[in-house]
Amino acid sequence: MSVEVRNIIKQFGRFPALHGVSLKVESGELVALLGPSGSGKTTLLRIIAGLEFPDTGEGRVLFYGEDVTDMPVHKRRAGFAFQHYALFRHLDVFENIAFGLRIRSHRTRPRESEIRESVEKLLKLVQLESLAKRFPSQLSGGQRQRVALARALAIEPKVLLLDEPFGALDAKVRKELRHWLRQLHEEIHVTTLFVTHDQEEALEVADRVAILREGRIEQIGTPEEIYDYPATPFVYDFLGNVNAFAGRVHDGSVEIGESKFAAPETVGRGDTDAIAFVRPHDIHVTRRPGGPAKLAARVVLCHAAGPLAHLELERLDNGGRFTVELSKEQLHQLAPKPGERMFVELRNVKIFPEDYSI
Amino acid sequence: MEAIAAIHAARPAAQPARRSPTAESPFVRWLLIGSALVFLSLFLVVPLLAVFVQAFAKGPGFYLKTLTDPATLSAIKLTFLTIGIAVPMNCIFGLAAAWAITKFDFPGKNILTTLIDLPFSVSPVISGLVYVLVFGAQGWFGPWLVAHNIRVIFAVPGIVLATTFVTFPFVARELIPLMQAQGRADEEAARVLGSGGWQTFWRVTLPNIKWGLLYGVTLCNARAMGEFGAVSVVSGHISGGTDALGTNTIPLHVQSLYDNYNQTGAFAEASVLTFLALVTIALKAWIERKEARLKL
Repeated sequence: MSVEVRNIIKQFGRFPALHGVSLKVESGELVALLGPSGSGKTTLLRIIAGLEFPDTGEGRVLFYGEDVTDMPVHKRRAGFAFQHYALFRHLDVFENIAFGLRIRSHRTRPRESEIRESVEKLLKLVQLESLAKRFPSQLSGGQRQRVALARALAIEPKVLLLDEPFGALDAKVRKELRHWLRQLHEEIHVTTLFVTHDQEEALEVADRVAILREGRIEQIGTPEEIYDYPATPFVYDFLGNVNAFAGRVHDGSVEIGESKFAAPETVGRGDTDAIAFVRPHDIHVTRRPGGPAKLAARVVLCHAAGPLAHLELERLDNGGRFTVELSKEQLHQLAPKPGERMFVELRNVKIFPEDYSI
Repeated sequence: MEAIAAIHAARPAAQPARRSPTAESPFVRWLLIGSALVFLSLFLVVPLLAVFVQAFAKGPGFYLKTLTDPATLSAIKLTFLTIGIAVPMNCIFGLAAAWAITKFDFPGKNILTTLIDLPFSVSPVISGLVYVLVFGAQGWFGPWLVAHNIRVIFAVPGIVLATTFVTFPFVARELIPLMQAQGRADEEAARVLGSGGWQTFWRVTLPNIKWGLLYGVTLCNARAMGEFGAVSVVSGHISGGTDALGTNTIPLHVQSLYDNYNQTGAFAEASVLTFLALVTIALKAWIERKEARLKL
């Protein structure tokens, strides 16, 4: 039950949307397509559904190994959920879900009792049994998206494609639905591809994450791989809060200003300019100066809302700002005051050569 | 309970009367409402009443006699025949044009959008004249039509053509903004669910635009019934009789009665058209209410 795309190229007028994207989603897998707007993720999803077609003859779409590139959209049996739900406003919840079954030709259409049965099963699955007779306009955003999902699942799709499914919802409902989607996937195990620009959502829900940038897949891997071993500065930056320090690499260490930090992956590399990336929770702050392994900085701001505190610091040597994440206890122990001088130690420094830019 | 009610009742009195920032002073308000009412009654209600008063000036007997006159009946029949052909045609053309413009991208789309408005911007008399120049005896297709014994100008086909042309924009104009606002997502959703092209149209597109379409058809119908200028040019003003359908529609026949110094008769027949117009307005109001409720 795998879904595969090979070498998809797509251009809208003069704007290139996809430059030869290949991707394979294994049977029962939940893969997130993550990227900023304009990266081509929605276009890729629409090409898989059959709502758009790849430009050149080389681009292929395969469902279970069968080539469906030239198959029209209504024959593909792909379940699709739209960002703005696209529910049929003249039909109630029940009829919206039943739509895909009712429009089948006489020969393949299930009997009325069977339609009723499968719609009721789906209503239960999406926890909307009591709202079967409501119209879309009488539902909340979260409820509408669940109806849209049930409607997509009603046709027993070969693949489920979700286009920013929670994009139009508020933060709290997004979180709830995210967990619910993961649970739903555990239950029904349909091969799923979902598009999002929210890295947290992708890392939390997906089995694997594909990061798109300007029509190319930048990196693909499990959330852990992607987060811990970002392949490019773009991925590093896109996955969230990161500090960039300009420096020079020299055989296993990186010099930032007057200070020197370990960078094991550069062993054997000559003297070059480089960008060092450090996540905010990989920076340790103390008051004790510690020689060349520490960087001097001044406290600018301190936000303490939420379970973690964030400290904004300014380097004393060149005024560059960076953020440090620390626990509430660490913050209480440290008790920093704005303007105070501190020393920071960088851990897990990730080096990319200077010519990369984010 | 009583205490609460008392508090609620007392509250407006306790506060100094405050106007909302956009409300005018009572004087200005009454001046505006009053002038609007005076204007309405002078220019709309009085003429409307005048039609019916004049129609019955010679008593109900004369009124009935006028309406049952073969020429009047023929005019009414021709008007219904004309709208019976022109309105469904424009319904289909309008739908097709709106569909093409809003759901597809093709070269010449902007030109088509502009062309749809052409009948609104051209004087109806000119529209009629154009048909005479094309289909008339001296026109482009005139000799061919004469040779094949087909009459367009000064006959029913010409009247239907002129009416169709003049009323073409109503349905399309009503549907284009509506369908643009609705986008293509619903149709896409239906297609992905396995729906073919026609099924998508009948089960998704048409229900979505149903009220807008009906509204456009109502407006188109109202205009088609009352069209005078274009029809007048192509008609030839032949009064109908018991055995033959003339080329006078209701508005043309009203004019011909009036020109023959039968003022009461003219108003009697005008009252039929006025009555139909009132029915149309009622229908339009009902559709607007339905449409508004659907948008909630």
